Amino acid sequence: MLETVNLTKNFSSHTAVAQLSLKVEPGEIFALLGPNGAGKTTTINLLLGFLAPDDGEALVNGLSVKANPIAARRQLAYIPEQVMLYPRFSGMENLDYFSKLGGRKHTRSKLLGLLEAVGLQAEPADRRVSTYSKGMRQKVGIALALATEARALLLDEPTSGLDPAASHEFSQLLRKLADDGVAILMATHDLFRAEEDASRVGILIDGKLTGDYARNEIKDVDLEQLYLKHLRA
Amino acid sequence: MIVSIARKEFVDAWRDGRFRWGAAIILVLLGVAVLLAWQQVERGREERVAAAALERSNWLNQGEKNSHSAGHYGVYVFKPIAPLSVFDRGLEPFVGTTVFLEAHRQNQASFLPAQDATAVRRFGELTAATGLQLLAPLLIVLLTFGALAGERERGTLRQLLSLGVRPRDLVLGKAIGLGVAILTLLLPIAVIGAVALAKLPGSDVAGSWTRFVWLGGAYALYLLAVLGVCLTVSTLAPTARTALAILLACWAANAVLAPRLVSDVVQRLLPTPKLAVFETQMHEDVKKGLDGHNPNERMKEFQRKTLEKHGVSHVNQLPFNFRGLLMLESERMANEVYDHHFGELWDLLEAQDRAVTWSGVVAPLLGLRTASMALAGTDFVHHRHFSVAAEQHRREFVKVLNEHTMYSKSHSAGRELWEKLPAFSYEPPGTDFALSTASPGLIVLFLWVLGSWTALLVAAPRLKPN
Repeated sequence: MLETVNLTKNFSSHTAVAQLSLKVEPGEIFALLGPNGAGKTTTINLLLGFLAPDDGEALVNGLSVKANPIAARRQLAYIPEQVMLYPRFSGMENLDYFSKLGGRKHTRSKLLGLLEAVGLQAEPADRRVSTYSKGMRQKVGIALALATEARALLLDEPTSGLDPAASHEFSQLLRKLADDGVAILMATHDLFRAEEDASRVGILIDGKLTGDYARNEIKDVDLEQLYLKHLRA
Repeated sequence: MIVSIARKEFVDAWRDGRFRWGAAIILVLLGVAVLLAWQQVERGREERVAAAALERSNWLNQGEKNSHSAGHYGVYVFKPIAPLSVFDRGLEPFVGTTVFLEAHRQNQASFLPAQDATAVRRFGELTAATGLQLLAPLLIVLLTFGALAGERERGTLRQLLSLGVRPRDLVLGKAIGLGVAILTLLLPIAVIGAVALAKLPGSDVAGSWTRFVWLGGAYALYLLAVLGVCLTVSTLAPTARTALAILLACWAANAVLAPRLVSDVVQRLLPTPKLAVFETQMHEDVKKGLDGHNPNERMKEFQRKTLEKHGVSHVNQLPFNFRGLLMLESERMANEVYDHHFGELWDLLEAQDRAVTWSGVVAPLLGLRTASMALAGTDFVHHRHFSVAAEQHRREFVKVLNEHTMYSKSHSAGRELWEKLPAFSYEPPGTDFALSTASPGLIVLFLWVLGSWTALLVAAPRLKPN
């Protein structure tokens, strides 16, 4: 569903992503681990078509992102580190607006149902989002992925700054989406969440994928030690 | 999709307290400006009607006197106030309201309203036109500087584009939504203006309603151009703060710098003579012609030719009073001089106006101002139209008096002759005249709309999420 083939991106003399090839199948949660500046966000930007690759290709459901950026994005949902919403609108209004722009028009009761499914009840859903916590905004982001019926999800440090309870709730929602067949690529620093949620873990160092492990390959391994080993190599 | 974006922008704009307050302040200011201008126009109109009636009565009741003396007694005529000066006073405060018509002299309009104003007037006069020309663009700047740059800064732009929204759809949707928000602010102003116009007696003269609609169109073009520029800058600027700084600089250049700079440059390129120089030169040229009061060589020559034409040897043998004919000839020659000098001066002033208007290609306000004044009937071309009509009346009036001197057995005349001279009745020019005068300004505004919206459509695909 999500695929990169020899994807390369240079910024002046610096190579942010080098010959990156990875594949995220429907139902998979691929955790892309890496230090700051490793190229995780650049990879997501290349998959979103916000950056043009210097070499290689990013594909969404077989569609080249470079050749068909709009059609490719239509199959995606993107949740950044902080889901940004319109502060003068309620969560419900934001969801309605974004889902319409994502090509899906839903009734109020359907949208309320989606917000409830991600843990936002009717009362906060009708409150202006300027009063929302980060966790609540992230939930609206997940509700948006549900509303647009996206088949692939790109997450950029989605649990950063969330308290443990909110982070746990968020993980449960992700797993539910994966169970429904959504392909999820999650760039993160959060080794704990990666260990808990990911069906595969990739380690990105200086733009290169230095490790790509299936869940069963790392179930008995200390992920932190493995990550540090890659980092020091 | 565009409709959804437009609807969201409209709602967001109205939920923004800054826009609501800004709109309310502008609405109140412009509403008050229209009402005050309406009172002023109504009072001025009544004063002029009363003054014209008094002047007519004075003329008719001046008693028995020599008909040429009546020409020197003269008559005042008053320029009617253009109904749409309720909206845009244009040059009205700076050109005269009254012309003294007398024998031998073509006078310029005098009694400038600005002369009666207090020193406070130096700070400028708030009219609906100046409000829309200066304040409405400022409100558009404040409403739109963050329209796209702000979305980029907040991160919502990434969110929107990640959904597969086409940048051009996003920009157009925003333009429509914000445009409608601005329109909802302008509609009450248009309604206030229409009510004020409808309440003015004689508001239907010179196609005022058609002019009013065109005025609305001219301001719509102007604000549309401003909206296009603002959204283009917001699309390309890296941050909302940068967009705001650029747009405020553009606003200042358009509203403050360009009008002063352009008028100075135009005055240098097409200089007008000083009033004293102009009048001295003109009167010297008049003196070189025939002087009906002081016989000179030209008069003697004219007399010789007249006697020859009629086959007589002395003026007493002519079938008319030669002095009357001399006055007519003297007027004819003076009129040629006046036509030449005033024609040159007025052509120069119109050329200056045209140069300022076409300078509007660098600052749309310059195009709008001339179009607005032309459509309101308060520009120089309309003033010239009145001045020409007043001068035409003077010439007819002096001709009748001189012909009386020429053919009447008695030098003295009375009410019977005074009544033969009709009161001055001025018919302001119609919409076609106003439109032809306003057309360069309207073309400038149209070019701005075309240019700014083309720039916006070209910039839209370059919209970057970061």
